[in-house]
Formats: sequence, C-alpha cells, structure tokens
Amino acid sequence: MIHLPREETKLMVAVHGWSGILLGLLLYAVVITGMAAVFAVEIGEWSAGHVETRSAFERPIDQPVRALAASTPQKYHEGVDLFEIGDHNLGVFFHHHDLDASGTPISRGIYYQLDRDGHVASAREGTDEDVFGPRNDDALSSFLVDTHVRLHVPDPWGLLLTGILGLAMLVAAISGLLIHRHLLKDIFTLRRKAHPVLVDRDRHSVAGSWSLPFAFILAFTGSFFSFYGTVGVPIVAMSAFGGDQQALSDAVFGNPGTPNPTPHAIGNLDRIAADAIKRSGDAPTYMAIENFGRADAAVTTYHHPKAGDIEPITLLYNGATARFEREKPSIGTRPSAGGTLVAIMSPLHFGDFAGVFSKAVWFGLGFAMCYVTLTGLRLWLARRVERMRSLDWLERTVTVVGFGLPLALLGAAVGFLVTMPLGSAVFWTPAVFLAVSAAAILAGFIVPTHALLSRALQIAIAVLLIALPLIRLAAGGPGWPTALAVGQPSIMAVDLAMLLGGGWMLWRLIGQRRKQLARPAPTLQPAE
Amino acid sequence: MSPTARKWTRIGFAGPGAIIVAIVTMAGMALWLPGGAAGIDNLVVPLVLVPLIWALLFFHACLDRNLARVVVLSIGLLVLHGGLVAHKFLDKPAVTQEAHP
Repeated sequence: MIHLPREETKLMVAVHGWSGILLGLLLYAVVITGMAAVFAVEIGEWSAGHVETRSAFERPIDQPVRALAASTPQKYHEGVDLFEIGDHNLGVFFHHHDLDASGTPISRGIYYQLDRDGHVASAREGTDEDVFGPRNDDALSSFLVDTHVRLHVPDPWGLLLTGILGLAMLVAAISGLLIHRHLLKDIFTLRRKAHPVLVDRDRHSVAGSWSLPFAFILAFTGSFFSFYGTVGVPIVAMSAFGGDQQALSDAVFGNPGTPNPTPHAIGNLDRIAADAIKRSGDAPTYMAIENFGRADAAVTTYHHPKAGDIEPITLLYNGATARFEREKPSIGTRPSAGGTLVAIMSPLHFGDFAGVFSKAVWFGLGFAMCYVTLTGLRLWLARRVERMRSLDWLERTVTVVGFGLPLALLGAAVGFLVTMPLGSAVFWTPAVFLAVSAAAILAGFIVPTHALLSRALQIAIAVLLIALPLIRLAAGGPGWPTALAVGQPSIMAVDLAMLLGGGWMLWRLIGQRRKQLARPAPTLQPAE
Repeated sequence: MSPTARKWTRIGFAGPGAIIVAIVTMAGMALWLPGGAAGIDNLVVPLVLVPLIWALLFFHACLDRNLARVVVLSIGLLVLHGGLVAHKFLDKPAVTQEAHP
C-alpha cells in the first residue's frame, strides 16, 4: 500500500478531482466512443448488413491490381497499399511519397475502390488526406472511430486534444491509486444500504480500482498514438535527422536494400496472399508493395497476432519473384526491444489480440471506465452542490452528456440504418447525431427536475437499443437465419447485445420506479 | 522562499515545466540511447516513453517535499538533453564543412 502523508494525500485528491472535472466530460466522450470502437469491425458488419465472410485477400487480387497498374501513371508506382473496404472488397492506393509545405511526409496518388467482382467502383486522385474518408457503407463505424480519435476536431488539434485527455486519464488513474489508503479493502467494499453518496463512492471506488491497470494501459497507449505523429515524430526527426521525417520513417519502417530501378513485372500477388495466409494462419489485414514494377519490388503483408501472442505478424516477400523472404518485425528490420514495444502498443490499445474474447474484455473494462468517469463527476458534485446551488447547471450538464451522448450515438445508428440504402449515410449519420445531441441539450434546459431528465434520457436509450435491431431488419438488413447461414454471427451477436442491454436498462428503471412508489411519502429531515 | 512563491514554483514545474522537460528529454534521448539490434531503439523508445516521462515529472513536482530536488532534477534533465540537441546542431556545419571543403 502507498501511504502518503496527509498534505500530499489532500493534494492528490484535489489533482484527481480537478483532472476529472476539467476534462472528465470530454474524456467520457473519448472513452465511450472508444469502447464502442473496440467492435468497430463488427458494428460495421452489423450496420451495413455485410454477409461476405471471405477476405478480399482470399479472392483473386492479382489481375485487378495489374489492370489498375496499367492505367495508373508510372509516378504513382512507388508504393501500392492494398486493404479491405466495405463487405470484404478491395481498396488499392497507388501513390508516391511527398512532403507538404511544412515538411510533413504525405502520400499522393490514386485511390481505387473495387467492387465484389474486382471492377473499379470509384477512383479518387489526391493526397492521402484528400482521398480517404467515410464511405456510405461504413459511415457509422467511421463516425465512431473519428469521434474517438480526434473528436471531429481537425488535425493536428484533434489528436493533440485527445492526447491531452489521455494524459488527464493517466493522472486520474495514478492519483486514484495514490489516494487509496486501503486499496485491498476498498476493492471489495460495496455498502448497499448506506447513504446514497457513500453507495456511489463505493461503486466508483470498486469500478475504478478493478479497472485501474486497464485505465493506465489505455491512457498510456492512447496518448502515445495521439502524440506520435503530431509531436513525437517531428521532434525526434529534428533531433536525429535534422528534421527529415521521411528519413526517420524509412529508418523505422523501411526495407533497406540496394536500389534496382530495372523494370520488372510484379510477382503473382495471389501466390503471395495464399502463402501469407498459410504461414500466419490468417488473411492479411494490409499488404504494402514498394517499388511496384521494378526489380527491387518488396511486398509486406501484415497480420493479426497468432493465438496466444500479442505481437502482430509481418511477412516480407520479394516483389519481383513472389518468393517468401522472411518474417520480419513490424517495426525495424530485425527484432529489437524498441520495435516490440511499439508493435504491442496497437493490440494493447485496441484489445484485438485474442479475437472476440479480448475485445469483449476491453469493451467491459471500457464500460467500467465510463462508469468511473461519470460517478467520479457526480461524487465531486455531490460534495459541493449542497453548499453551492450554483453548480446545479453542472449537474445537469453531466447528465445531459452522460446519457445524451450514448443516446446521440444510438440516434446516429438509426440515421445510418435508414439512410444507407438511399446512399446518403455519410451526411445523415453525423447529422442525426447532432440533432439528437441538440434535443438532449434542450431537454437539459426544459425538463423541470434533474431526476426526471436523467430518467427520460435513460428510457430513450433503452427504447432505442431495443428498437435498433428491428429498424435494421425493416431497413432491409439480413435476418438471423441468413447471417448464420453465411457464417456471419456478428450480426446476430450485436442484435442480441442491444436487445439485452436495452432490456436490462428498462428492467432496472422499472425496479427503481417501483422502489420509489413503495417508499413512504418523504418528510423533511436534516441533511445529515 | 515564501509559501506562495513555493506553490507557484511547484505549479510551474508540474504544469508547463513538465511538458517542456518531457519534450526536450525525448529529443535528447534519441541521441544517447543505443540503437539496439535493429538500430531503431534510440528513435522509437523516446516516442513510447514520453507520456510516462511527463507523468513522472508531474507527480514528482507535486509530491516531493524538497522543492530544490524538483528544480534540480527538471533543470538538470533540460540542460543535459537540450545541450545534447544543441551540440548536434552546432556540430553539423563543421561536419558539412569537412565533407565539402
């Protein structure tokens, strides 16, 4: 146990409280969207009704990519990135590396989106920032991820903001640990019949203590990702390479070799994909080709970690001959402590290292973090509202954000489900989110009591959770038999999770209402 | 030093001070950390460690009763790593001159 002297403990309580109260609501927005984004792939499949289960890399990609290369200017053959989009279709980005006005490396080229049959569905030319963005069939999951990563604030400010929120979470987690005088006792103490403030305090303490290591990992890895490109890379590049960020990128991620610009047809990409699947046991999540059409072409395939491992797999192939070269670390050319450290940051943050099981644990602990943030804010307020009635607005704000934000996210899902078949989901998903947020804010102003506001928002969340699977079906989404028949259980799993979540909320609200009605009429009593 | 001055000195080192020292330390670490087996440890380890360095500096500035130790540690890290970066930049023209007489 850590026993701080009284003065330092008081200071840590103040640091813990103020780090939460100043940034708690924004942190809550980042954590709740991150919690949902853990299942971004499954939510994408559920919302868009994707029923294809074979990866794009398990279908022929060689001929379509060769055909695209033939019609793409040679200057964009420096790098070709292949990845999955939509319902396991293929996205291909032919590009060359460039620097923007501020010296930051960018990629400029043509981004092709292929349909199921390998035909070009769309082609966009520009920088990576211009050509990538939400699609009609992934607008919901993109919206979730973008909210989590940068709160829709333009780069680099959005990333800096979420990085600062990560540091605030780090401070809250460490100071939360330091202020526990009896950690082992506290993590098992839940007084159900005590004063409501004490009950809330126990719940906050138990949820916070159990999820403390997780909060630390999430805050640390999250702030790493936010500051990596915005602050870290420019400064380390300045220090080690005189400001040349491309040199830093090449040193860390590149495949060094003797340049050989002799024209040479690319090796068979289907053969590479098949071999990579055989070696890693899983389809690539990404395939990167360097120097397409040259004798020194190199193909790198990226895969999820093997069962029981946490470090992703990266395989290197000779691009000209399609021959397997070696398994390489994700970062650097040889295994190293630094490379491993960076490589495990992603699985630790996204919780995708052991499939659905680790994702479910990450989701559950994310839920605990949301609960800790909200109850922490309420505890801070409960200690002050009695003395300062002027804080009533803040109490309402906490309720509006605490329940209004998940409600708005569910509203965005409704907007997506209804408008995706019409092809306008990219506009309507955020538009409905904003409309529902505005309605929740308005309710915060006009609903007469705080208790009624809280109850109304929770009922709305429960009703939407139950209604969403029905709306999905009504909008033409696949039914459970169809989804199961094609081996796509995530559609049924998300439906069930929503029905269970909504049902549990309604059952809890009805129980609370019954208790209130069964209680005798209140009489005026002293506060303590 | 008056209690108010001590308080603001502490706030200064825990707030903007911790940010500046963490960033300068990250820049300087790239120059003295060994590259490791792949020659990249000096480039990537500072990037990973910077949130932790900041947190350590923040909590140290908050909790160490000996304010002089907080000042010496922070300024020491700043001078050491800032000096390394400055030396690298001051050294660069000389190297260039040698390479291209």
